[in-house]
Amino acid sequence: MLISMRNIWKTYQMGTESVHALHGVSFDIPSNEYIAIIGPSGSGKSTLMNLIGCLDTPSQGQYWLNGKNVSEMDDDELARIRNQEVGFVFQTFNLLARATALHNVELPLIYGGVSASKRHEMAKQALHSVDLTERMMHKPNELSGGQRQRVAIARALVNHPSILLADEPTGALDSHTSMEIMDLFERLHSEGNTIIVVTHEHDIADRAHRVISIRDGQIEKDERIK
Amino acid sequence: MLFVLFRGQQSLSFFRLTAIWEAFRVATASLRANKLRTALTLMGIVVGVAAVISVVTIIKGLNQTVAQTFSSQGSTVFTVSKNPQIIKSREEFIKANRRKDVTHEDAEAIQRLCSACWRVGIAANAIETVKYADQKAENVRIRGVEPISMFDVDGVTINVGRIWTESEGAAGRDICVIGPDMLKNLFNDAPADRAVGQEVRINGRPYLVLGVLEPLGSIFGFSRDNVIYIPYSTYQKAYGSRRSLIVFTQVRTAEEIETAEDQVRTIMHNRRHSTDPDDEGFALETQDVFLNLYGSATSNIYIVTIGVAAISLVVGGIVVMNIMLVSVTERTKEIGIRKAIGARRKDILTQFLIEAVTVTAIGGLIGVGTGFGLAYVISALIGFPLLVSVASAVLGVGVSSVVGIVSGLWPAWRAAKLDPIEALRAE
Repeated sequence: MLISMRNIWKTYQMGTESVHALHGVSFDIPSNEYIAIIGPSGSGKSTLMNLIGCLDTPSQGQYWLNGKNVSEMDDDELARIRNQEVGFVFQTFNLLARATALHNVELPLIYGGVSASKRHEMAKQALHSVDLTERMMHKPNELSGGQRQRVAIARALVNHPSILLADEPTGALDSHTSMEIMDLFERLHSEGNTIIVVTHEHDIADRAHRVISIRDGQIEKDERIK
Repeated sequence: MLFVLFRGQQSLSFFRLTAIWEAFRVATASLRANKLRTALTLMGIVVGVAAVISVVTIIKGLNQTVAQTFSSQGSTVFTVSKNPQIIKSREEFIKANRRKDVTHEDAEAIQRLCSACWRVGIAANAIETVKYADQKAENVRIRGVEPISMFDVDGVTINVGRIWTESEGAAGRDICVIGPDMLKNLFNDAPADRAVGQEVRINGRPYLVLGVLEPLGSIFGFSRDNVIYIPYSTYQKAYGSRRSLIVFTQVRTAEEIETAEDQVRTIMHNRRHSTDPDDEGFALETQDVFLNLYGSATSNIYIVTIGVAAISLVVGGIVVMNIMLVSVTERTKEIGIRKAIGARRKDILTQFLIEAVTVTAIGGLIGVGTGFGLAYVISALIGFPLLVSVASAVLGVGVSSVVGIVSGLWPAWRAAKLDPIEALRAE
């Protein structure tokens, strides 16, 4: 199993009150799956995404990612996992404004300690795989929304992570560009990548092969649709 | 060195170098993006470093000038006079004025009785306006000397012409040897041999120019060549004998100077019979009094400069810290992005530390440049050699880099421990 979550709880202390963002969530995701996590805002899906992406650790429960127990890791170990195992795609792209597309894509490799020449090669290849070879020396403000998101996807893929984790990847795009990005996800999936898309939009979730619905911090439904 | 501070430290592997280079790139890019802010941030550091560099450079130059100047007379000469060469207080001034004049007889007694003395001479000075044809030179030092070995004691040599003979001097003839400034001020820069044989007028009295001295240059902006030597007998005729003299005594080697001083002190005590327990009635001094005064003056200047530099570096450091905190706040989102894609705490910490150090090191470099520039201008104005010291430049940049580390540490630490989820949410 690539991802294995067992009885995950996430509790926040709000003053004297404990708020359970997640209570007792368990699921498995095998390799090369295309999965959507869907739920309304406040359902706990963002919390779940942060846990899957190793930005946070659960209050209780076990999370195994690619054979490693990440539920008990410290900050620096989590950073390492994020660097090696997770590729993030955000709603607002989250590119560095002052850096070129190429440099943005190189960034995970810099923190991964890849040598400059190899880094260059890998970043160029990642940009090529999202059809942005000719725009790689442009800065984000010189690119369209769809192009920016493709740079972000190239950045997420450049380190060959175990999972591609996309948080509302089309939330800031028009419908035509959204379709292009979703087509790209489909292609990446067919090339062997594991893709997890977190969304509140049903037509985005419908592109996945499996949909997990979250409500009130629990899994409401977990169904295979393709 | 930075990484020794942090847990989980590795050797300075390739990975660290890559991260440091990235941090440096980010730092310079963000400094370029905020040019005005960067410039203002640099000011404190620049002022501090420039102050130190310019003062150190100026004093080094002066030191060399002073050393050269005094070594021309050297530590083999001491003087006996009524007034000390440097009067440090009002009391000293009053005390000196109550003393008896030092006379020709005193000099003769020293000449006769001091066995350790090699050369004994007398000198008296006056400041006059000197005229030649329609030219005029102001504030010329007229120095009446006897015997002519006083030229050697003073460390001056003849360039063109000759010194008077002892018999000419003793006869009190109206003759003189002029310093090279006279050529410029009276003879329109004519060659020295054109001045020889001419007559200059000092205080209305004509003097035949016998020779011209080699130039000595200037010290602290005062020319040492603005002088005219005349025989002491002539001086006495022109200015009367009621002025106090300075007796110059020279020994052969520096080791003999203490013996000679003791002898002269005894001779003078016997001649003065001073009843005042606080005052022996004369001043016996070597050139050390100048060097000591100079030394204490420069050490005071050093202390004040170090104080000014310390204050401006502290203020500069606080400014850098403040700006770094602003920068961390502004770039919270960026920090979040970097953390999300795998930057560890020490990567973020290093990035902001390097940014702070880059600012202050640039400030240090500009400060070093400004300091040398300032020293250059001042040295050109006053006229002393410019000695550029690499060590002080390295020290200036080094100290400002340390200021960068110290003032960058807290902001960098705040950036490093930001929660990635919170940071990503920032706008």
